[in-house]
Amino acid sequence: MRPRDALLLLALLAPAARAGDTWTVGPGDDLARALEAAEDGDTVVVDGGVHAPVVVTRRLALEGRGWPVIDGGGRGTVVKLAAAGASLRGFVVRGSGSSLDDENSGITVAAPDVRVEGNRVEEALFGVSLAHARGSVVADNVITGKALDVARRGDAIRVWYSDDVRLERNVVTRGRDVVLWYSAHLTVADNEVTDGRYGLHFMYTDDADIQRNRLVGNSVGVYLMYSRRLRMSHNAVVGNRGPSGFGLGLKDMDECDVTDNVFADNRVGAYVDNSPREAQSFLIFRRNLFAGNDTGVALLPSVRKNTYSENAFVDNGEHVGVLGGGTLGANAWSDGGRGNFWSDYAGYDRDGDGVGDVPYRSERLFEHLAQRHPELKLFVYTPAANAVELAARAVPLVRPQPKLLDDAPLVAPVVPAGVPRGAATAGAPLVLSSAGLVALAALVIFGVSHRGPPACSGGTPAGPGAILRRRGRTAGTPVAVSSDVVNLEAVTKRFGQALALDGLTLTVRQGEALAFWGANGAGKTTALRCLLGVIPFQGRVTLAGHDVRRAGKAARRLVGFVPQELTFHDDLTVRESLAFYARLKRVPAGDDALLARLGLAEHAHKAVRELSGGLKQRLAVALALLGDPPLLVLDEPTANLDAPARASLVALLAELKAAGKTLVFTSHRLEEVLALADRVVLLEGGRLAADVPPRDLGERLRAHATLHLLLPPLAVERAEAVLVDAGLLPTRTGAGLSVEVDPAEKGRPIALLVNAGVPLADFEVARTGAAAGRS
Amino acid sequence: MDPRTIVAFAAKELRDARRNRWFLLYTAALAALSLGISALAVSAQGAFGLAGFGRTTASLVNLVMLVVPLMGLTLGAMSLAGERERGTLLYVLAQPVTASEVFLGKYLGLGLALLASLALGFGASGLVISWRVGGAQVAGYLGLAGLAFGLALASLGLGLLISAFARRASTAVGLSIFAWLGLVLLGDLGLMGTAMVLRVDVGALFGLALLNPLQVFKISAIAGSHGTLEVLGPAGVFAFRTFGAALLPMLVAVLVAWVLVPLGAGLGVFRWRGAL
Repeated sequence: MRPRDALLLLALLAPAARAGDTWTVGPGDDLARALEAAEDGDTVVVDGGVHAPVVVTRRLALEGRGWPVIDGGGRGTVVKLAAAGASLRGFVVRGSGSSLDDENSGITVAAPDVRVEGNRVEEALFGVSLAHARGSVVADNVITGKALDVARRGDAIRVWYSDDVRLERNVVTRGRDVVLWYSAHLTVADNEVTDGRYGLHFMYTDDADIQRNRLVGNSVGVYLMYSRRLRMSHNAVVGNRGPSGFGLGLKDMDECDVTDNVFADNRVGAYVDNSPREAQSFLIFRRNLFAGNDTGVALLPSVRKNTYSENAFVDNGEHVGVLGGGTLGANAWSDGGRGNFWSDYAGYDRDGDGVGDVPYRSERLFEHLAQRHPELKLFVYTPAANAVELAARAVPLVRPQPKLLDDAPLVAPVVPAGVPRGAATAGAPLVLSSAGLVALAALVIFGVSHRGPPACSGGTPAGPGAILRRRGRTAGTPVAVSSDVVNLEAVTKRFGQALALDGLTLTVRQGEALAFWGANGAGKTTALRCLLGVIPFQGRVTLAGHDVRRAGKAARRLVGFVPQELTFHDDLTVRESLAFYARLKRVPAGDDALLARLGLAEHAHKAVRELSGGLKQRLAVALALLGDPPLLVLDEPTANLDAPARASLVALLAELKAAGKTLVFTSHRLEEVLALADRVVLLEGGRLAADVPPRDLGERLRAHATLHLLLPPLAVERAEAVLVDAGLLPTRTGAGLSVEVDPAEKGRPIALLVNAGVPLADFEVARTGAAAGRS
Repeated sequence: MDPRTIVAFAAKELRDARRNRWFLLYTAALAALSLGISALAVSAQGAFGLAGFGRTTASLVNLVMLVVPLMGLTLGAMSLAGERERGTLLYVLAQPVTASEVFLGKYLGLGLALLASLALGFGASGLVISWRVGGAQVAGYLGLAGLAFGLALASLGLGLLISAFARRASTAVGLSIFAWLGLVLLGDLGLMGTAMVLRVDVGALFGLALLNPLQVFKISAIAGSHGTLEVLGPAGVFAFRTFGAALLPMLVAVLVAWVLVPLGAGLGVFRWRGAL
């Protein structure tokens, strides 16, 4: 219908219209004129469109179809229902003014028996305001406040001086309060109020029923003040955590019954102040759940005549708090032989009647301390606070006076029935996030593993054959090598007071083989460790011009190291060890020819811990040869090998030397020194005693023989004692003992052991001036 | 410093963690306990369709404060000192690597292992919660997990600092357990006693509490999930009013400092101390 036609219709019908007629207003029609034309009892159907604010002064039923909008344009009140019995249904009412003083509202009801049902009130300062509107009904509306700070908002619903009003099934969000003042016999049921200041605020309002509402995420859930005979049941009061953060506040209330509600995740589940206020009055809490609140129920110390029974107190930070301290003996914590469920109750129920056989005492020491010293609350949720509680349980002497005593605690919670649940929160984000975390864990634990070495461009296959072909080259390294490969300048090392090296100065030229010789403790191993830069020292060490401390990485890139103690990662296999160290050196992991040459090919998949000492030594050599370094540093390389293996290794080292490698090694075996070394450095007490050709070594040493005694592990200690008792100085080796003796007396240690009954597996004699041989 | 070398050590450390029975035990304990806490909280509250994050968060905070520092401290303490005692550290340092690469590689590897452990615990626990009560406060939950990881890294740094000093693994582990006791119990108990006897000003008390990374974690977790620190009494209110919106970033910054300072100190000690 076009506007012109509508007006014509109105003009024609208005004079003849009688009560009970239906008026239809189209999208472009003037609603105000239609309302002027209609009479008491008429129905005005508004079919879509956007309309200006209206005042209804006759008993009309306004019905919207297709969500017609009444828009206040941000000024004043949008709809005023000032006629008894009027109704408004199916409209979008939006855009009130913003004056708190003038109470600019979406809908104002100023007459009795008005019905406001199924509307959407949006961007209104006050949502629906009722004053002197007895018997009115506000139901099924969705009311959303303006996006303002809570202090600048108006009340979402306001009921003043209006008895017998029913508020039902409204969904209210972003308002200030839902206020119910100076009224009686109200019914507030099945509403949902979120994101406001006071979800419900009663003052001087007696005989109200508050049922099945959801009050979630407000500053305070429900505040009941100066009223009597209020019945609150089956409400969900959750997550109200404003500055006071009460789920339910009761001030000066009488004869109230709070039953079957859920109070969860509030700062304080229920706060009771001077309620009941009259001597013969009462306050009953029954079958409520107080769960996950910072404090379940907080009472002022003066509170009395409260009865708490069959409530469940579950996982509150503090189940019951006394604000200001004191006990709560003037209240009843059980009724008819049934107390409450307390999640920290540690009693038992032997007779199975559902009631614990020992009373529940609220006597937590930390809470008690924190009441006297509030600054201690800083330590809540800490293991220290828990320890204080444990101490109080263990030592009765320090237990505080119980705040309350429940003589019939329940052993299982009573579940409040019929409490409305919220729409299921979308679980997908949490499911996805949690699954993501589990997947991340799996990825990290199982996905990221020890990887093999990367392909190294310009890398060279390692192995003696390859090395031999590059005689004279410092293969596998980009570093320019000077003729002095190793240079030690005044190297001094102390371990505490002990001087391990004392001003050691020497150089080793490229291709040269230098052996350190000396007794145990002479400083040979320490010299090698300083050379590698793996321990702090005084002085200076350079390898091919690289300072091992300032440019240790570049220096060590030139080195293949064979340690005295064969300490690799036991859980890696031979091949994995090669891959790991090759990765550190940024070189290829070696080829099978090297493993074959060293006799490791058939052991490549064994874990290091499964290898014999000899095989470990070969692995050490294989690792040292990774990347074909120009300098080999070897600390007692043949110590753990049997004679054939030793001969094989010495032959390999000789080959490497012939191929141009520089060798620096320590040894106790003269035959090795003679076979490999170009120079021998004799160390005594950490000082360089001599730097001589190998042939001069025998002359400088007093003739002696070293006897290697191979012993079962359990016999080593006893054998050592026998030899020491005989005035000899044995030293332990991996396989038994070695002892230096005069060549003419080399049978003596053996005789001593045989006579003492010590089992001797085998022995070897290393003689000065000649190759070692088996005797 | 070569990141590739650091990654090589980290990968080795992760691999070792997979075979470390202590790490597996810790991970299983953390997962089981966090699952238990969630299931208990959910069974008590979830029947009503409530997201039981309030108290669940508090219980998880408590659990994290007990278990995570123990994990970080002991795993860190065992790491360097154990290798030093076995002699593998000397051999590794004899390779073309720097002490910093070794230290940071171990830190990264163990940090990732701890991340996996925490992700498993929080992930499994989150699945239980979402199964029973739907989703809620996802950002808060992930934030808590993140803070727990921060605490794990701080503890790991302290453990590695101890390890950098110690010659033997047993010494390092003993010291780390003593440090754990100090952080978890003795420090807070001492501070509580001091506050009661000397009437320490709440601002000073709050400042002193931040000397303990566990308190930093806890206060951050509460500030993150509650928005205020009122639950922490006068000291919490003081902190909230003093720092306002800057509180949470400040707490996170303190936690980051707790991660970085022990890490830097440990690195310095390790470089000075060397392989022996």
